Amino acid sequence: MRINAGNLKKGEFVFFQGAICQVQKADFYSPGKGSALMKARLKNLVSAKNVEYAYKSNEQVEVLDVTSVEMQYLYKDNENLYFMDERTFNQSSLPISIVGEITRFFKEGEKMFVYMYNDKPLSIRPPSSVKLKIIEAEDAAKGDTVSGAKKPVKVETGAIVMVPIFVKIGESISINPETGEYTGRV
Amino acid sequence: MKIHATVKNLENYKIYLQVEKAVHEFMEANHYLKVELPVLSPTLIPESYLEIFETEFKFLDKKEKLYLTPSPELFIKRLLTHGVGDCYYLGKSFRNADPPASLHSYEFVMLEFYKMGVDYMGIADVVLKLLQSIKKQIIYQGKKISFEKWEKITVSQAFEKYAAISEKELFNHKLFISKARLKGYQTKNFTYEDLWSQIYSQEVEPNLGKNGYPTLIYDYPKEFAALAKLNPDDRTTQRFEFYINGIELGDCYTELTDWKEQEIRFKKEGKVIHPIDKGYIEALKYGLQDCSGIAIGLERLAMIFADLTSIDQLKLINIV
Repeated sequence: MRINAGNLKKGEFVFFQGAICQVQKADFYSPGKGSALMKARLKNLVSAKNVEYAYKSNEQVEVLDVTSVEMQYLYKDNENLYFMDERTFNQSSLPISIVGEITRFFKEGEKMFVYMYNDKPLSIRPPSSVKLKIIEAEDAAKGDTVSGAKKPVKVETGAIVMVPIFVKIGESISINPETGEYTGRV
Repeated sequence: MKIHATVKNLENYKIYLQVEKAVHEFMEANHYLKVELPVLSPTLIPESYLEIFETEFKFLDKKEKLYLTPSPELFIKRLLTHGVGDCYYLGKSFRNADPPASLHSYEFVMLEFYKMGVDYMGIADVVLKLLQSIKKQIIYQGKKISFEKWEKITVSQAFEKYAAISEKELFNHKLFISKARLKGYQTKNFTYEDLWSQIYSQEVEPNLGKNGYPTLIYDYPKEFAALAKLNPDDRTTQRFEFYINGIELGDCYTELTDWKEQEIRFKKEGKVIHPIDKGYIEALKYGLQDCSGIAIGLERLAMIFADLTSIDQLKLINIV
């Protein structure tokens, strides 16, 4: 599907210089010299490298028609994440370098949506929030009552998250996997 | 859009306040008059590439269109022609169709100041002193930036150096467009201005302000400066912008004082939604002494001094 670059959105997939890229960021702006531009950060899904490109806001861009398929996250090794389509039992893998930082919040056995294009997995649709149990945390120091004070804790996937000091070991919390921020207790 | 109270930005906001205070102190110490100005105006300067916010003043059955000012220039020029002298505005300006992003917002804080009797390079000297008055040097994103001097480069030199586009190609529309096509840009149905803007943004800008000093890039093709004085070469104008780490912070020009030339340029601007500010031409007819002015985005400037990468990190309330 061809669209105006001005309508590009984060998360969409485009062909750029012969490679499939995912839009990481797209900022529309008028530089005050000539026409408006759409400044995009594109992640090349082969090399995992980011490239910045300034589209004219009204130039045509080919956006890929992708589907998202629910799969079970099985495990990861040093390079890849492995998934299984529970209806067909087909397994797929994706490089960790492509999926990025959010993998540190993935729990084995969880269901996730994998973006597919021509039956090939491209990337993950990041969940808006993940629920994880705290496995390591220090008790809040007495007298530390500064509002908004935070402490680091370890969650069950091994990732470190900053949480308000009143949150305790054993509690489950919700996290925004894209920012790594604590959003509440569950 | 939603309102977000982002009190976690409190420490960053305090840096913003320090920069704002330093600007006021510098301006006062250097005898610039602070001018408070309206943000709603019944007419505007025609700048066809700017999108405008429009509203309506209602009084019984009378209605009048009003526009949020994209810059305070139309007010300040009137004051300058009537002899107010060196002055500055530090307040809100508005540009529609600029969604909130790391470096943009449809409402933003602009520092605009004017100095009588100097050209654009006279303003460049003042800006350097202003930056020094805030801090002599900074570390931005791990790189040291000293405000001891400018790295100066003309637009033409920059296109040659960073985009391999020769001076001849830069000023000849036809040659420029074919060069853009060769480089792989979509050129069909696009103008010289569109492509120039794209290549400037894609290939030139990211290199500016990256060599330890802020970069001053100057002498833009005349197509890109509706209110600036033409250079004797007849194809560039006395305009500069300055950059730190690829981020544009300010836009300056020697003011065009020739009202006839200004009227011709306004007509070339094409269609705009608002009534054209004829009083602006009248003010120039009355007579504007030689002067120059600059607009600096205060949030971007504070963002640099706070070592942040997005202006929303400075704000206590964000609307996204």
